[in-house]
Amino acid sequence: MSVWERQYRDAVAGIHSPGSLDEKILQQARRFKRPKGTNRWLSKAASSCAAVAVIVLLAHPAQYLGALTPDLRPAGGAQQSPQANWRHKRVPTEAADPWFDLRSQVRAGSFVELCSQWRRQQSGSTPDTLPRDLEDRARAHCRLLP
Amino acid sequence: MSRKNFQHLNDEALLDYYHSTRNLKAFRLLYTRHKDSLYRYCAQMNFAGTASALEELWNNLLEHPPQLRGRLLRSWLFIRVNKLLRNCAGQYPDTPQQVPDPGNKLLAGIQQLSRVERNILLLHMECQLPLATVADIEKISLKKCREHYRRGKERLEEILQGPQRQPWRIKGLGEVSA
Repeated sequence: MSVWERQYRDAVAGIHSPGSLDEKILQQARRFKRPKGTNRWLSKAASSCAAVAVIVLLAHPAQYLGALTPDLRPAGGAQQSPQANWRHKRVPTEAADPWFDLRSQVRAGSFVELCSQWRRQQSGSTPDTLPRDLEDRARAHCRLLP
Repeated sequence: MSRKNFQHLNDEALLDYYHSTRNLKAFRLLYTRHKDSLYRYCAQMNFAGTASALEELWNNLLEHPPQLRGRLLRSWLFIRVNKLLRNCAGQYPDTPQQVPDPGNKLLAGIQQLSRVERNILLLHMECQLPLATVADIEKISLKKCREHYRRGKERLEEILQGPQRQPWRIKGLGEVSA
């Protein structure tokens, strides 16, 4: 700042805008009202609705029906868990299946027992009949004896 | 943005903020930043028309947000008030005798300059506008504007401190007397 400007600043330091003029202009400014904040409120409502929807979707119990609520299913009903079905089918127990021994022999390739049972059934000397699948295999493998 | 921390905003951002929210405090801040400088400039250019010019200026700013087009708000204000003062000049003839502070020699000296020189000097010193902007306002070239500014300062110096010493004359007088 040059000497001139400093002198000038000192000279005008005491000159301020008169209060009456300020008051008049601020009075005019007061006439302009703040615009209504509807947009802001609208966006707030919209965003909170979206947040609630997301939370409901994430926490909805229907997602976890299979995983978390086993006790609510009808016990022993038609709908059993796939895991239980699989275990049942693959590993038949001796107690559950009366034809377990015979079946395992057939699976191993030995048809002697099967054929003798089959023949006994044909001659009517045994009361219990073979189940359908064993019957099919016997018909295919056993020789017809006179 | 919170309603309270607009203190740090610059003029242009504050103006935008005011026009989007019509926050009276924001306007008051903007007004206090510029009111004194504007008043001093107007009072020294045309004392009689000051109040009406300033009222019209701020009214315009309140009603329609100014199209700054990359300029500073400060430049816009002074360009605008300069135009308004020119319009006022017909209504209130420029009377150099009426100064805000008649006791001050410097201010009285400024009043004795021609209108163009006074305008350029004040715009540059009081309003701190660059000379290029001042040249645009006066619609003259930058070179001419600088010339006016220099001459105005010289004349002001002459008014305040009398004519410059002319040592060759004194020397000549001395030779003559001897």
